[in-house]
Amino acid sequence: MALPLPLGLTHSEVAFVAEMELVTVVPRQRLESIDLLSGKTPPLRPPHRADLPLWLALLLKKQRRANIVPPPWLYPASLADIVHRETKVHPHAFSEPMPTASRARQSQPGYAGRIGGGDSSEVILSPPFRSNCTSAAPAGYLPYHWLEVAEALITHASDDLGGNTSEIRGLLRDLVEVRAAKMRDSAETLGAEGQGGVVSLRGVGAMELAENRGFVLGVVDGVRKIGGAVETARREKEEEMDLGGGDGGRGGYGGDGDSDDDMGI
Amino acid sequence: MPMYGDQGNKLVQHAKRMQNLAHLPPYQTELVRAVTREVRDLDKDVASLLEPFQGSFDPSADQSTACTLLVNHLSMRRNKRCLLAYHRTRTDKLEELVWNGSDVLDLAGQQAGGGANGATAAADGGASSSLSPQEEDYVRQYGDLLAAYKGQWTDIDLTGSLEPPRDLFIDVRVLKDAGEIQTEYGAINLTKNSQFYVRQGDVERLIAQGYLQKLG
Amino acid sequence: MDIDDILREVDPTFHAVPQEKRNLQELTRAWIAERSAPELLPWPADGLFERVNDSIKRQIEKVEEMTGDMDPKTNFALIVIQTELERFKYLVRSYVRARISKIDRHTLHYLSTDALRARLSEMELAYATRHQALLHNHYLSSFLSSFPSALQNLNDSAGINMVETPDLESAVFIRLLKDTLVEGRGVDSDGAMDGRESDIVILRWADAKTLVENGSAELV
Repeated sequence: MALPLPLGLTHSEVAFVAEMELVTVVPRQRLESIDLLSGKTPPLRPPHRADLPLWLALLLKKQRRANIVPPPWLYPASLADIVHRETKVHPHAFSEPMPTASRARQSQPGYAGRIGGGDSSEVILSPPFRSNCTSAAPAGYLPYHWLEVAEALITHASDDLGGNTSEIRGLLRDLVEVRAAKMRDSAETLGAEGQGGVVSLRGVGAMELAENRGFVLGVVDGVRKIGGAVETARREKEEEMDLGGGDGGRGGYGGDGDSDDDMGI
Repeated sequence: MPMYGDQGNKLVQHAKRMQNLAHLPPYQTELVRAVTREVRDLDKDVASLLEPFQGSFDPSADQSTACTLLVNHLSMRRNKRCLLAYHRTRTDKLEELVWNGSDVLDLAGQQAGGGANGATAAADGGASSSLSPQEEDYVRQYGDLLAAYKGQWTDIDLTGSLEPPRDLFIDVRVLKDAGEIQTEYGAINLTKNSQFYVRQGDVERLIAQGYLQKLG
Repeated sequence: MDIDDILREVDPTFHAVPQEKRNLQELTRAWIAERSAPELLPWPADGLFERVNDSIKRQIEKVEEMTGDMDPKTNFALIVIQTELERFKYLVRSYVRARISKIDRHTLHYLSTDALRARLSEMELAYATRHQALLHNHYLSSFLSSFPSALQNLNDSAGINMVETPDLESAVFIRLLKDTLVEGRGVDSDGAMDGRESDIVILRWADAKTLVENGSAELV
């Protein structure tokens, strides 16, 4: 078999993607711009900050050529705020994903769609290419790659976390736990009767998806296979009703009136 | 007398078991022959059943013959499917070994010499077994195909690691004088107690031999 | 300072991304999508892999030029370049092998119609055709040639279908790239929701496909 891996990114693949997130560094040494495949790096001039992909920032950090500026969402106050919201305010939903920069919508009126080729069509960027982990990212939100980036910084740059490493670690652990419970609840809902074929996990993180992918998708696929006959019968019946001049449409759309903060599960 | 399909089931069971094995069990020459023979027998039965009708068989007029014909027809196809599944499972395994860079034919030869069964998995990818002569041909041809395909990706080793790259470069301390080594960057002189930041692949052997120590 | 630079600073999603950066973004998205989709996706028609391969080749040449006359202890730029090069090579390798793996599993299916064949690159098409021929020969020489001639085909569908197909109804995760209506089929009822940008949605691949193809969503 050319690829002995299951569908969906593995843990190490997710960590690899997270290393593409830009982070902010304060260089300790000068370094000229480097012509990389992904473009030129900014020249590093202490003490001026620069944004670099995490893999490169870690390389500089290990060589003591730079310090990493933790993103504002990783500060204890921000994490504590999110823990509070995830446990007390919205105990059944993941916290809101990090918002797109405010101008984004206006500057992309037509949303030309796919990341185009050589033409100048507009690009809709998504993590890890959204600068969600630089020092300019907002506090109070978890970016898609929150856990991987946090773990990398704790492991390799704990001296850059302002002496808060153990506090941060504790808060992250709380978040992992409360969100894992939400993931389990969602899996239960997925198997429930009357589930309409579309489920949103708004706010979920990349590592959490990788962790639960096999299980969650397995539940959905399992329900579909067990219910195959039921579904076929239902569709035939609906088709008959449509042909018979009934009010048509697809049966039982539901669940779009929920409040914005619900996961819609 | 065994039921039609028993042999085919056995083949599928072999295939199923094989999926969880690290090595390739011996090719079931006899079983393959038996299932193939069954297909030919079924086909002869069909021909002799139809013979008296001279091409004007009416299923509604002779339902029991029609039923027998249908069962035979389905049994033949089922056997074909079993044979395909069995052979495909084996070629999948063989292809995996080719992708892993194992010298499949060499391993097969060694194993065949030492009794095909029970041999523990060989160190490299766990190939062991006797291949059918057709499978040996297949391995050779697939190896050529893969080499041709890989050859078109000159700068990317397609059979390289599927683990994301980590720690391409590492810090090492020299524990005992190891002399000069050639790296992609040119020569490095490894004198005791000196420290270097080097490509991991260049020094793995020296680390294993105790000349260098990986730091951090 | 260029006006695009200013825009880029206030808005990280501004579209004027340099080509090099875009190559990485497209390659990453193509790889994640291929690693997640239950079926083979179309080979990028916009020359992405030609661009990526060319730049990898040039970068390797540069590494070779740089290595000759540099002090290995101080040449940090080279270390950075090589590290990134390995990351790119890995992405291409994993992508190509994810595709080959899918093609291998359902070769006859992907060769069966023009529309499906069009998803393969030229190289992949040649590989798949040859691979299928090798397999058919192998079956023939192992057992198929002693079958009645009517049963010697591999693509007969009378009675039992011998051509296996990927399960397009498998569930997947997608991320919405813009606000859009998301419709999906379920067992007891079908559903729809007013999806918002950044939603991560679970639904069947067959229902997600249009959204992914028209750029409203991406596989994650």
